[in-house]
Amino acid sequence: MKNLYRILFTTALCIGLLPACKDTLEPKPVDILTDDVVLNEPADVNNVEIGLYNAFRTIAPATVIAGDATADMLINNGTFTQYQELGTKQITSANASVATLWSSIYQAVYIANFILERLPKVEGVPTSQRDKVMATAHFLRGYAYFIAAYSFGAVPLVTTTAIDDNRNIGRTSRDEILAFVLADYTAALGKLPTKPVNTGFAGEYAVQAALARFHLYQENWADAEKFATQVITSKQYSLDTAFVNVVTRDFPAESILEAAYTLTDDPGTNGNIGLNNLFVGRREIIPSNPTVVALASDESGDRFSSISFNADNLKGNDNGWSVAKYGTADQDNNNVIFFRLGEMYLIRAEARAQQDKVTGDNTAQTDINVLRARAKAPQIGAVTKSQMIQLIENERRYELAFEGHRWYDLVRTGRASAVMAAASPNWQSKYELWPVPQREIQNNPALVGNQNPGY
Amino acid sequence: MRRFLPGIFFILLSSLTLAQGQLVTGLVTSSTETDGLPGVSVVIKGTSDGAITDIEGKFSLQVPPGATLVFSFVGYQTQEIVYAGQTRLNILLLEESTELTEVVVIGYSSVQKRDITGSVATLKADNIKDISITGVDQALQGQVAGVQVVQSSGTPGGGIAVRIRGSTSINASNRPLYIIDGVPVQVGALSQRDFGGQDDNALALIPPGDIESWQLLKDASAKAMYGSRAANGVVLITTKRGRKAKSSITFDIQRGIVDITKKIDLLNSTQLLELQREAVRNAGKNPDGLGLIPGVTDAVNTNWQDAVLRTGIMQQYQMSASGGSDNTTYYLSGSYRDEQGVQLNNRFRRLSGVMNIEQKLNPKLTLGTNLTLARSINNRVKGDNFLDGVYSGAVKSLPYYTPYDENGRIVGPGSALYGGFPNFNPVGQALLPRFDAFTTKILGNVNLRYEFSKELLFRVQAGIDYNGVEEDQYESTQTAIGGVLESVGGKGYGVYSTTTNSSFISNATLSYNKTLNEKHHLSALLGTEIIRTNSRNSSVQGRIFPSDDFTYITSAGIVDQGTSFKAQSGLFSLFGEVKYDYADKYLLTLGMRRDGSSHFGPGNRFGYFPSVSAAWRISEESFFTASPIHEVVNDLKLRISAGLTGNERITNYQFLGTWSAATYNGNSGVSPEKIGNPYLKWESTRELNVGLDVSLLEGRIQLTADGYYNKTSDLLFARPYPSTTGFTSVFDNIAELENKGVELGLTTVNIDKQLKWTTIINLSRNLNKILFLADSIPVYTGYQANGVDGTNVLQVGQPLGTFTGLRFLGVDPGTGNAIYDDVNHDGKITNSDAVVIGNAQPKLIGGITNKFNYGRFDLSVFFQWSLGNKVLNFSKETLVNSGQDIQNNQLVEALRRWQKPGDITDVPRYELSNTYNNLHSSRFLEDGSYLRLKSLSFGYTLPPNLTARLHMERVRVFASATNLWTYTKYSGGDPEVSTLDGSTASQGIDFFTLPQVRTLSVGINAALR
Repeated sequence: MKNLYRILFTTALCIGLLPACKDTLEPKPVDILTDDVVLNEPADVNNVEIGLYNAFRTIAPATVIAGDATADMLINNGTFTQYQELGTKQITSANASVATLWSSIYQAVYIANFILERLPKVEGVPTSQRDKVMATAHFLRGYAYFIAAYSFGAVPLVTTTAIDDNRNIGRTSRDEILAFVLADYTAALGKLPTKPVNTGFAGEYAVQAALARFHLYQENWADAEKFATQVITSKQYSLDTAFVNVVTRDFPAESILEAAYTLTDDPGTNGNIGLNNLFVGRREIIPSNPTVVALASDESGDRFSSISFNADNLKGNDNGWSVAKYGTADQDNNNVIFFRLGEMYLIRAEARAQQDKVTGDNTAQTDINVLRARAKAPQIGAVTKSQMIQLIENERRYELAFEGHRWYDLVRTGRASAVMAAASPNWQSKYELWPVPQREIQNNPALVGNQNPGY
Repeated sequence: MRRFLPGIFFILLSSLTLAQGQLVTGLVTSSTETDGLPGVSVVIKGTSDGAITDIEGKFSLQVPPGATLVFSFVGYQTQEIVYAGQTRLNILLLEESTELTEVVVIGYSSVQKRDITGSVATLKADNIKDISITGVDQALQGQVAGVQVVQSSGTPGGGIAVRIRGSTSINASNRPLYIIDGVPVQVGALSQRDFGGQDDNALALIPPGDIESWQLLKDASAKAMYGSRAANGVVLITTKRGRKAKSSITFDIQRGIVDITKKIDLLNSTQLLELQREAVRNAGKNPDGLGLIPGVTDAVNTNWQDAVLRTGIMQQYQMSASGGSDNTTYYLSGSYRDEQGVQLNNRFRRLSGVMNIEQKLNPKLTLGTNLTLARSINNRVKGDNFLDGVYSGAVKSLPYYTPYDENGRIVGPGSALYGGFPNFNPVGQALLPRFDAFTTKILGNVNLRYEFSKELLFRVQAGIDYNGVEEDQYESTQTAIGGVLESVGGKGYGVYSTTTNSSFISNATLSYNKTLNEKHHLSALLGTEIIRTNSRNSSVQGRIFPSDDFTYITSAGIVDQGTSFKAQSGLFSLFGEVKYDYADKYLLTLGMRRDGSSHFGPGNRFGYFPSVSAAWRISEESFFTASPIHEVVNDLKLRISAGLTGNERITNYQFLGTWSAATYNGNSGVSPEKIGNPYLKWESTRELNVGLDVSLLEGRIQLTADGYYNKTSDLLFARPYPSTTGFTSVFDNIAELENKGVELGLTTVNIDKQLKWTTIINLSRNLNKILFLADSIPVYTGYQANGVDGTNVLQVGQPLGTFTGLRFLGVDPGTGNAIYDDVNHDGKITNSDAVVIGNAQPKLIGGITNKFNYGRFDLSVFFQWSLGNKVLNFSKETLVNSGQDIQNNQLVEALRRWQKPGDITDVPRYELSNTYNNLHSSRFLEDGSYLRLKSLSFGYTLPPNLTARLHMERVRVFASATNLWTYTKYSGGDPEVSTLDGSTASQGIDFFTLPQVRTLSVGINAALR
């Protein structure tokens, strides 16, 4: 019987430990929130909106790589395979830059969908705030899909947060994606403040600027001109008198929307991409020789300040030039532009030229000359329509260098093959779209056998 | 009750009888203690009268005529003699030639070795003496069947991968559970900053010199008491204890030199220049235009390996005192180890102290404590695949540059004397940065034993394992990070971080022990245990320093990144065990543990881990004892065990879907982190083991053989998700793998005369295979490589550590281009032509130790080998790169390259910027088999007259060497490497990994009189 006592004693000891047991087995996590409590009261709304911008901004540097490195703006100069592939036009579906752009798009889409699904159910949120955040989610999701459509063609159209559905989702045609983009943009139109806190956040004119670009790409020239004009005449934005401000400063006066990367907040412009590390630190990618020639031309004028030269770097394949944009870590100019006024002039110029408003008052010529004047470059005179189209192509190259436009421009105008074949012996027409990342095809059954042609 | 140590008897028996008879004096000696064996108990049988031999091995005692004297001492055979009236007795005690009666601690109880029903291997301190090893895990290398130990590199205090019976997991830890004096200890790296694979190692804090023994629990029966943490095997480590004997003080001193085992053959300036010019010409360019000018470019020829490598000094000092009385035993020890790495500025120092005390408070109650305190100072350097690593920089640096300028100053970034990106002056990278890690370890427990009766014992224990690391780092403006990296600002970069990991354990056990009718032995154990683990860390970084004279963050211009974090996890368990044997002939053990772990969701928080094992001692059967074979085979035991073990070691909170803090544009918010998985549960391994223990010729030959089959299901794995979900992976139980193998351990006493020769051999073979992966998609791991998805792949039917790549078929003699196997016959060489090209798992591993004793001389020779494993020489994709770039030096092998049509060679043509010839292929995979003279030691014990004159008890001098000789076909620095320290899926990759080091040392072991 004595033994029984001992056993009871031990059992009692175990039971005595039970409160400690709960404490031991259910430690409270710190610094994280669980799904069910992240958006269920008014105070949560701003936090989730910031989360959306945090994910969304990665699209900006990823687009810079797509727009400039896929085209003839940049060449590789380092050891990373992904930039070697882009620089030498041997892009594969395993390319890490490709995967980064794809995943940055869908990460932003996830949070936008999360907001669009959950926010209407959160009680006590003021209508104005609810409308603004819903509009933001629509707009940013629309932009993400716009980039997706022009980078990858047909892509999966994810509109919910249902993980199991979105693991096995096929491609939706580019036209349908673009229709969806237009619907999202339209849903946001008129719902955002005309003057956001700063242009790190989307306002009404960011939506209009996005619509101007959308219609330009769609060759709806009149609509493109209309929205560009609305932004230009809004008087919210003005061209910086010195172009160099666009290169060296965050939030220049003409900024409409930019991805904010402050000194204390990811100064490397995203851990995965790190534009200043790529351009200035490691110099993995550097301006190509034709880019240097173009930017150094008289027509380019002050826009030459987008690049810089250091003779110490001159050796081997290295031409010594670097992209000056996105600065260094202690120069607070890491933001990446989504939209700025300069682009609006270029959009309007192209839309006007296509509508045969080539020279004279309120024509392509006047718009281009606004930018030429600011760049202290020679004004353009009388030219034909086709000359003007070519001239605008060049002008976009000078003005929007390293902001991620060149590849998209060459592809949408049908000029990619002609221009790129001259720039690289490896160019093939398949490079007008990026491949669907191999990882996606491997992990999403609905994408198996559905790669872009040629990859 | 014969399971108890004999010594306990004397204390329990307390009848007092008056000593009568003749006074006898005597001397007790042994073959190793020829001058006298102290501490031997001499007892008149049937009484409590007796004596203990003094420090000189002498005793005196009143003995009645005809009485039987019993001489006993731990580790020696007990000897009885009938007293025949002599006044002087000289007794030679024989060492236990068999280890069968030794008591082994298994789980929460102990058992005589001969009664073990599971698979347990023991390593004694004696087997590793003289070998210069840093930590307690390193000691296991090559010593025990079924255990594979790979040192990640030659970095002192660096990472070591220990695998018992293969790898059971992909994502959760594959390291065994280490328990030191009952306290589970932290394993793996402690520091926050990754140094390119050359991590630090928590187990390097524990001095091997204070360890008495290692018990390796290998099968379910032995491990089951550790339930959800046991799947990877358990290593029970016991520190040295005091014994009831006169105090003894010992000194151990060892000093030596440390050198790299091998330098690799690189090109000199002239050879490299010629090669680079050829590569440029082959690309249709003019080499002069790229500045590759003979007589100018190659005017300097620096041997960078010589510039960064040195001969280091290793020194180790230990002093210990131990002893005890009837009621108190103690072991106190202090030691200091200082090992300079072979890389400049790399050094590991450790100061440690051990205090083990046990006090008997009354006949029933005993209180004990074990405490180890250690402090290490680790001066680290960056390694492996870092662009700014030291050894990696040295092998890649172009010989055209110099480490020092004409004024003797280190050449910094931007100087024309060193070309800069992608490589940096490795001498500067070694000498200029400060990467100091200060680690403190407190490992201790207090325990209390209460003996209710002889049958019933209660034991309670509380312990702690505390590890605190402070990392103090500064990279000056003359280094790659501090000077060049623009995101840091180019004006110095400092980091200061702290990490503490502590676990608290508390357990209570009640054990019962009963013998009925001399035949039935029954024992039972019931216990409960709580383990809580806390980790806290913080880090702050500063940039833009005024100058390199200011190296602490207090002087930084910008302090913009700081973190602090805390996490905790817990385990709550109940366990029980029942053992029964009939006359030592039929033995049965049943065990069960119930674990609750905070790592898993509410639905799967608790798990049950049962085990059963049985043994049949054939040698006790009458048919056996009657047969003549019994003369040869003294002990023959067949064992079988089965059970379930688990692996719960994954990151905290994986079952929760979570959002974490995020910032944007000066605002704080939240951002999704991962998808939750409430169904997450343990990995469980079903294990089956069959073994045989044989003892032949009075224990002169002892053989242990085991065969096992282990199947692990519900493998925790970060299942890749398409990004369309918004996430890239989710943790899930989605894979299954198996390990099966055989092991053999053999100890033979070949000669036991004046020359004693003992051989210890172990051999093991383990086959690992992935049986199932959800989605059956190959998952690529390891490094990204040219033209393929990864260097390694997880694929059903293949083992962990499988290498993938293109199949290299040779070099086209016509064009000089590489020929790859177009597996899918699509006319193109793409990533879809990649196939399995080999794996890193060895087919056979083992070790053989030969020990010789002749008079005062002793010699120990220890070979260790690994057969049939492949090593990916990933460095060669830079060092024989076929001209992909001209920024790295090349191996001498590049001289064999194809140069003109008709050349038959295995090294493709060099052409600048051509990546095709440098695609990741089987060209870079090599046989990593090796045979290594792991250690060699030779000792001499001074004769007693000399020892006495030195006022010493015993003095032994020795010389020893480690890694003295290696046979391998591997062309890189060393076949024993793993750049991804601790990785299972991507093991065996050599990516500028520092080769192992060779140590030559001399030392003294002395015992004070």
